[in-house]
Amino acid sequence: MASKKKRFNPYKLANKALLYIIITSVAFTILLPVFFLVSLSFLTTRDSYKFPLPLLPSLTSDYKLEYGERGYLLSIFDKAEEDYATVMDTEDLEKMSIYMEARLGTPTTIEEIEEQIARLETRNIVYFTKKIDLLHNFKAFFLITNDAFPALVRSLQICVLTILISLSIGGMAGYAFARYSFAGRDALKFSVLFVRMFPGIAIALPMVVILIRIGFYDNPIGLALVYSIGSIALTVWITASIFMGIPVTLEEAAQVFGATKMQTFIRITFPLALPGLAAAAMYAFLGAWNETVAAIVLTQFNPTFSVVVYQSLVGAVGQVNLAAAGGIVMAVPTVIFTFIIRRYINQMWGGMSV
Amino acid sequence: MATLTFNNVTKRFGKKVVAVKEFSLEVYDKEFLVFLGPSGCGKTTCMRMVAGLEEVTEGRISIDGKDVTDLPPRKRDVSMVFQNYAVWPHMTVHDNIAFALKLMGRKKEIIDKTVHEVAVMVKIPELLDRFPGQLSGGQQQRVAVARAIAVKPSIFLMDEPLSNLDAKLRVSMRTELKAIHQSTQATTVFVTHDQSEAMSMADRIVIMKDGEVIQIGTPDDVYHESVNLFVADFIGTPPTNFMGVEISTEGKACFLINSHLKTRISGELASCLKKHGKQKVILGIRPENFDLVDESKAIVSADCLVAEPQGSHQVIAIKLDEQIIKIIAPEQPKVNIGDRVHLSFEQEKIRVYDRESEKRIR
Repeated sequence: MASKKKRFNPYKLANKALLYIIITSVAFTILLPVFFLVSLSFLTTRDSYKFPLPLLPSLTSDYKLEYGERGYLLSIFDKAEEDYATVMDTEDLEKMSIYMEARLGTPTTIEEIEEQIARLETRNIVYFTKKIDLLHNFKAFFLITNDAFPALVRSLQICVLTILISLSIGGMAGYAFARYSFAGRDALKFSVLFVRMFPGIAIALPMVVILIRIGFYDNPIGLALVYSIGSIALTVWITASIFMGIPVTLEEAAQVFGATKMQTFIRITFPLALPGLAAAAMYAFLGAWNETVAAIVLTQFNPTFSVVVYQSLVGAVGQVNLAAAGGIVMAVPTVIFTFIIRRYINQMWGGMSV
Repeated sequence: MATLTFNNVTKRFGKKVVAVKEFSLEVYDKEFLVFLGPSGCGKTTCMRMVAGLEEVTEGRISIDGKDVTDLPPRKRDVSMVFQNYAVWPHMTVHDNIAFALKLMGRKKEIIDKTVHEVAVMVKIPELLDRFPGQLSGGQQQRVAVARAIAVKPSIFLMDEPLSNLDAKLRVSMRTELKAIHQSTQATTVFVTHDQSEAMSMADRIVIMKDGEVIQIGTPDDVYHESVNLFVADFIGTPPTNFMGVEISTEGKACFLINSHLKTRISGELASCLKKHGKQKVILGIRPENFDLVDESKAIVSADCLVAEPQGSHQVIAIKLDEQIIKIIAPEQPKVNIGDRVHLSFEQEKIRVYDRESEKRIR
């Protein structure tokens, strides 16, 4: 019995297989919508309304041009049907050019179409290939929704403001909860969570009234105030637990060695609390950046970016691929921000020993 | 270099808890003073009041004659070594030590020079670029000490700095701290609950219990002239042996008697005991003050319960009634478990304590 041979163990194998199946399906569930969104944002308008939806955007389009009843007949090669499908029959070359850019994602000038028509004189059918401009959805998103760029700036302003407000007020409150004991501390700490219990839409109307009264309706500051209420609550809890984890003696030592209370905070407490503050900032940012419902109610002519994306889906010019492009644009700052503060979050949940 | 004075200092937490009660003390210049007591006796609170980390409820504290009672910590010119070191984890060792110097606005070259000097003093010059997280407990301790001596304070406070170290390191750090005190000559207040630490380091020991000072004196004073049962029991390993005895006078002669022993007392001690009036007292004898003698000269005889050879000496335990008596005897002759032990003691070496007040009579 001395030799330990590796034996085939069906239970172990089944266990492992099951584990990987679960991991894969979880990853799949998380990644599939993301993949869908990204892929959709690169699809041409024609492709994005097809069923089944193409898995990947194509890079080029094959066209067929011939004489039609009303002028020139333009067909596009449909990869799913494996045949050419007629898209338009017209002699209006400008209309054709616009259509090819807006619906088919291949920017083509009138001169280029005329070139192909010139070739048509020697033969009956002309085949040509155009490159699809993959970024056409993103360009179109900012062109069609003419408010998108100012809305992006507004949203960023709101986020910065929300982070500043909730971190300063929530951070101070968190410090107080962590360091001082006073009557009703636990009840008070719990009660800051009350504001998060009400759905935003339920308190939206009173919010509108209040914001109109103080003159912040349809204004980034007003929205930042509204968002801060919710994120202060979370900030209080996150920072309180972080400050509790910083031993008081570290602060006392700083005071004995010549620091004022302010210097102690800046040089000792703040750097040590940075991971928690970063996490709180991330939550404040995500909350303010993604919020749509209250923003729809609380803005009119100065919408936030999330509202613009929403409108690009449901509004008069609503197109699913444009909305997807808007969604991608919207996700970019979030991803960048999260990556920047990832280091601090890792410290916090990766266990930095204080 | 400075003196430190407590003048009737009282500290209350809330309304009822009295941590320190009417504490008065003068710490002399260049002195190494140790606050010694069991946990909760108020010794750390006393020290924190000196540092300014704890408000004084009543009374005044002054350093070098200057009243510092209401000053914030940074204006007191004290430095402190904390029990859990309290080195800042986000700063390198160098920055930890330089922290106070930077706040004082010293020039960079001077700071670097001072940091290097104290690092050499505590034997960590090679660790200056490390972060505390990369150091062992003992090394962090050295950083804490270096940080405290770098500022050249008038008062140097140490709050149980050795209690988190392992036993061997603790003993060697005692010597080092004492040597550092010799070279810096800073007035030092050292808090500990370890009596052997106190005995080996202190110029004077302040023994505290329940917020009150029980005895102030040199290590020899508190050991040989313990003022009450608490001190006699707290100081020394093994502690003083106590036996309940009765004073009995037969004619002019005076005896201490219980069921195991009867010894004649003469001279000053006898007259003192006669004057005391009460019959029942407590007899205290340090373990090393017993002598192993022949049966004929024995005052007490008993069977050896446990014998612990220690190399240089042996510790013998005997049982009288329900009480264990420990004796420190020379290494030879060897005593084995079960051997009959005959003991005697000199009258000058015994201490007698009152049963109720627990204070020493003689």
